[in-house]
Amino acid sequence: MAQWQEVQQLPPTHLERVHQLYTNAALPMTVRQSLADWIEDQDWQQAAEPFSSHARMLFHSLLTLLGEQLGSLGPGDEDFMLKHNLRKARIDLQAAFEEHPENFANLVANLLQEERCILRRAQAKGQVEAPPAPSTAPQSSQEREIQQRLAEFRTALQEAERAFRHMEDLQDTFDFSYKMYYLPGQDHSHDPQYAQHVQALQAKLQSLDRQRREVVAQIQQLLGRSETLRDFLQQELSAWRERQQRSCLGAPTDTCLLQLQGWFTALGEGLFQLLQLLRAVGELRQKVTYEQDPLQSELPLLEKRLQEQLTCLLQSAFVVEQQPCMPNTPKRPLVLRTANKFCTRARLLVRLHDRNHRMEANIHIDRDPPKTRGFRKFNILTSSSKTVLVGDSPREGLVCDFQYLTLKEQKGGGSGKGSRGSNEGPLAVTEELHLITFTLAYAYCGLELKLETSTLPFVIISNNNQLSSAWASVLWFNMLSPNPKDQQFFSTPPPAPWPRLAEVLSWQFQSIAERGLSREHLQMLAEKLFGSKPSPESALPWTKFSKDGAAGFSFWAWLDGILALLHDHLKQLWKDGLILGFVSRKQEKKLLKVKRSGTFLIRFSESMLGGVTCTWVEHPESGPPAFRAVVPYTAAELASLALPDIIRDYQLLAEENIPENPLLFLYPDTARDEAFGPYYSQRHEGILTKKKEYLNQRLIRVSSRQPLSPVCCGCATHMSRGATVGSPGQCPGVIGHCAPLPAVSSPPMAPRCSAVSWGERRVVTSPSSTEPRPSNNEGTRWEREGAMWRDDVTQRSVMSR
Amino acid sequence: MRPRGKAEGRPWLRALEVLRNCPSVIVHAVLLMSQRGRHQESKTKLEISPSETMKAEEENYKEEDKEPKSEDWRPPSVFGAADLKNRAVGLYNIGQTCCLNSLLQVFFMNIHFTKILRRISVPVCGTQKKNNVPYQMLLLLEEMQRGKQKAVSPRELAICLLAHRVTMFVQYDAAQLFLTLWNLLKKQMKNPELVEKLSDLYTIGVQEHLACQICSSETKRNSSMLTLPVPLLDSGFYMLKTLEECLQCFFHPEELTGHNMCFCEHCGKKTPFRQCVKLVHLPQTLTIHLKRFCFGRSAYIHKISSCLPFPQDLDFNEVLTEQQCQAYDSEKAAWQYELFAVVAHSGSTSCGHYCAYIRSLTECKWYCFNDSLVEQVSWDDVKSTYGHSDLSWGQTAYLLFYMKKHPQ
Repeated sequence: MAQWQEVQQLPPTHLERVHQLYTNAALPMTVRQSLADWIEDQDWQQAAEPFSSHARMLFHSLLTLLGEQLGSLGPGDEDFMLKHNLRKARIDLQAAFEEHPENFANLVANLLQEERCILRRAQAKGQVEAPPAPSTAPQSSQEREIQQRLAEFRTALQEAERAFRHMEDLQDTFDFSYKMYYLPGQDHSHDPQYAQHVQALQAKLQSLDRQRREVVAQIQQLLGRSETLRDFLQQELSAWRERQQRSCLGAPTDTCLLQLQGWFTALGEGLFQLLQLLRAVGELRQKVTYEQDPLQSELPLLEKRLQEQLTCLLQSAFVVEQQPCMPNTPKRPLVLRTANKFCTRARLLVRLHDRNHRMEANIHIDRDPPKTRGFRKFNILTSSSKTVLVGDSPREGLVCDFQYLTLKEQKGGGSGKGSRGSNEGPLAVTEELHLITFTLAYAYCGLELKLETSTLPFVIISNNNQLSSAWASVLWFNMLSPNPKDQQFFSTPPPAPWPRLAEVLSWQFQSIAERGLSREHLQMLAEKLFGSKPSPESALPWTKFSKDGAAGFSFWAWLDGILALLHDHLKQLWKDGLILGFVSRKQEKKLLKVKRSGTFLIRFSESMLGGVTCTWVEHPESGPPAFRAVVPYTAAELASLALPDIIRDYQLLAEENIPENPLLFLYPDTARDEAFGPYYSQRHEGILTKKKEYLNQRLIRVSSRQPLSPVCCGCATHMSRGATVGSPGQCPGVIGHCAPLPAVSSPPMAPRCSAVSWGERRVVTSPSSTEPRPSNNEGTRWEREGAMWRDDVTQRSVMSR
Repeated sequence: MRPRGKAEGRPWLRALEVLRNCPSVIVHAVLLMSQRGRHQESKTKLEISPSETMKAEEENYKEEDKEPKSEDWRPPSVFGAADLKNRAVGLYNIGQTCCLNSLLQVFFMNIHFTKILRRISVPVCGTQKKNNVPYQMLLLLEEMQRGKQKAVSPRELAICLLAHRVTMFVQYDAAQLFLTLWNLLKKQMKNPELVEKLSDLYTIGVQEHLACQICSSETKRNSSMLTLPVPLLDSGFYMLKTLEECLQCFFHPEELTGHNMCFCEHCGKKTPFRQCVKLVHLPQTLTIHLKRFCFGRSAYIHKISSCLPFPQDLDFNEVLTEQQCQAYDSEKAAWQYELFAVVAHSGSTSCGHYCAYIRSLTECKWYCFNDSLVEQVSWDDVKSTYGHSDLSWGQTAYLLFYMKKHPQ
């Protein structure tokens, strides 16, 4: 936008300064206003140099333009004052500066500079909202700074171009005069006119020399500016890289590249423009040169400096926009399965290209593989080269998008089936890191470069059951590796400091179930891992995270089991905060102790993979409160019956065989139906009068209270569960079932025992609009398998036999 | 090599003559120096003198004549109105003078220096005026501050320096030229009081210790330096990370063993020595010279362009240990510095460009002086002179000027 326009849009306080500026200036504001564009377009600075012929020329052009302006104004009265003012200004100016037009040039140059000063000050205070960028998002100060610097860079570039054009003019005049008047071969010692010509020629050469030095100084200055700008962009880019790495781990961050692309392109454009300018300057030097020509010595240096900057800018502008990812596991990028499709995308942030030049991008996997024994080698099966798509909209940009890639392992030559064993490297398959490198042959404006960028290291698996541990490796690497290309990271994986790990774990829950881990959750996990309150120095070694575990599975396997369960069955409950989740038994007691009977909470099982359970409190008439927990439900159970429904219909059979639901209040004290009401599955009201071949059936969960019975109640449960689930071993507490049962009043806290005393069963019952069921439904109820599962002790014991 | 001695001194005299009197125009081989159609030719090809100590300069220099001392004396520590006039004005490059220009700007923007400069006595006769460096500098300063031009040409000063064997139109090492200029200034200021003030303003006092490791006899020597030449590589050739580390490295004691052993008078033989430098005094304006060179295997010298951050505020008491200082507490209390100027170099050792980043002491704003171009910049721009390992042609700080925060 033109400077004068910007000036007029200044807020009042700053506008006041502009008025002050013009009150005492010999240039009336009317003139500034009516010839705004022309005035801003001239090089007054240059004209202000002493003995510049340019000043006179400009001064007279201004007077002529003023005359034209006067003539173009209509004869009407509306412009009367304006006409008067302009006419007066013209006469005044002529009188004041006719003798010394360079003073006038100096005056205008200073005025323009002052205006720019005021504008800058106003912008610095953020009082001028940049109208051409209607960005609604609040910009950080860094972003504003970059934008302002880019604008300044463009202005300075325009100034340099103007200076260049002036230099061109000077050179042309000099060149012409030189060819006309300079005749060294002859003897001119007696020709006074010749001496005059030569003197004039010398003066011309001097002003040319001065202008050349000026242009060189301006380009030096521009290069200095762009270095700072590049620093800024580099900072922003590395911040983006960090964001991308975090977002790969599931952190909720913005990884949009559009703004960066805009900045990189703007700077790239400016630098390429500067390159063109430098070349044009070089051409001028080819035509005229002289001893101590500043271009002779300075140009090569400037060119080298500029090319280096451009190269650096372009190199860093080539980024992997999308890390390799399989479409079917979008939340877990960087884990690829052989023979499965995956995609990855790179982008050149400097959106400048030559339409006639076909840019081709190539990808290579593991170009410099680490020299580790047994390091698997892969081939990219689909085409590994692609022409860069050039979209016209900025959203598209210069993108090379590889969509349907698959990997295939190279089989070692001559190795039979048994060779795998001998080839086995020190690293597990899921700890082996691979890289894809993008290369791009870039050419623009005569600058040819080979750009290169690499993806983050990824893990290649051949079976889906490796996914979980592969993801653990990806987490560990991106959390801790100082070098984003270190393929040998897992030869000595560092331990993870707890605060960092806690954050990353929370992101897992955030990304999969849309709710991160709370402070209490993390507290519990830390206690589980470190046995005590974590200090900021606590760190978890890699093996303890992903390999060893007391319960037969590692910490990560346990956590990932919970993540899978949450993702498949409990997402909504978790998201809405109904699942307390990570509560240690000690903490659980502490929480429930002070609550009324029937208060329950939902937590994850610590003893099995992917289990969730309810614990409730009962306050007997005498004695300490008792805590009861159901054997954890796993994905298999939840697949047939959702947790809210289990909770709603959960029944406990007391000795008197009167079923009751012990789950009354969700911790801290929300009534069960109020908390879970929205999640209950829709019940079809059975219209009993209507003739139907079958009535609807419904599954509910029942446990029986068998505190004092000598018969082992749990066995039936476990058997039944075994029958349904298909693996009796999964059920904790099979062993020791028949041991004498402890009294209910002394709540058994050892995990196995508590499972024993609270057997659980599955009952199929029939439709059931209301509870308790109407007696006329009994028949149906008995027709179904329910007979088999009739909750009574005798049958159960029969079953178990 | 640069000419030395009387006989060899002729070429530059001739150059000077040519510079002043040449009447003819030789287009395509013309050196442009003049503004008013006075044009000169210079055919002298003078090369950079690699190591020029001021000693040599002093020997060659002939004290011209004693001048009457001026009575122009004002009370110190009070800045006159003129002293505070230090608007940022550019200097034209008149042929590879970017190095000189940058240094001149650093001098002129330092109000403590201009306060001294404005008090010099004016030489009486014409030739003295022409050859007097302080006077020519003052004239240039006046011209810069008087005019409304955005830049002025340091032509007269260049001619004057030429008379003192400071050849123009060649690439200079800024640290060396700074020393040369300063010595010329000091020598030609006739007023001893001013000379003392100039020394106080710039010179660093150090004490060199040399101790025989066998008989523990120690020799001490006080000396003064104009710049602290700090290394960028430590003794193991590892890059130092910050300016503070460089300073620590400079003041780190060095063991002289093996080939470096010195002769000990007490022991009567060559013995291992321990050499160290202790800081005694720091001036108002402290100059730090970053030795951004690295000698490769061959004689080829290359520039170290890697990143070396320097702080805006520097407290020497935090940088140096008790053992590395040899000063009273009152002296040490004043060792609080603030960055004042950076002379930055871009390019390689063989060719390059200098510019200066200077913080105006009156306005407290940073300016970038690129010959005739002067621009207000921010601290971020100054930070871009830290250097980049991936930009070998980028600009890197070469001389750092720190200013005492609380002048004594």
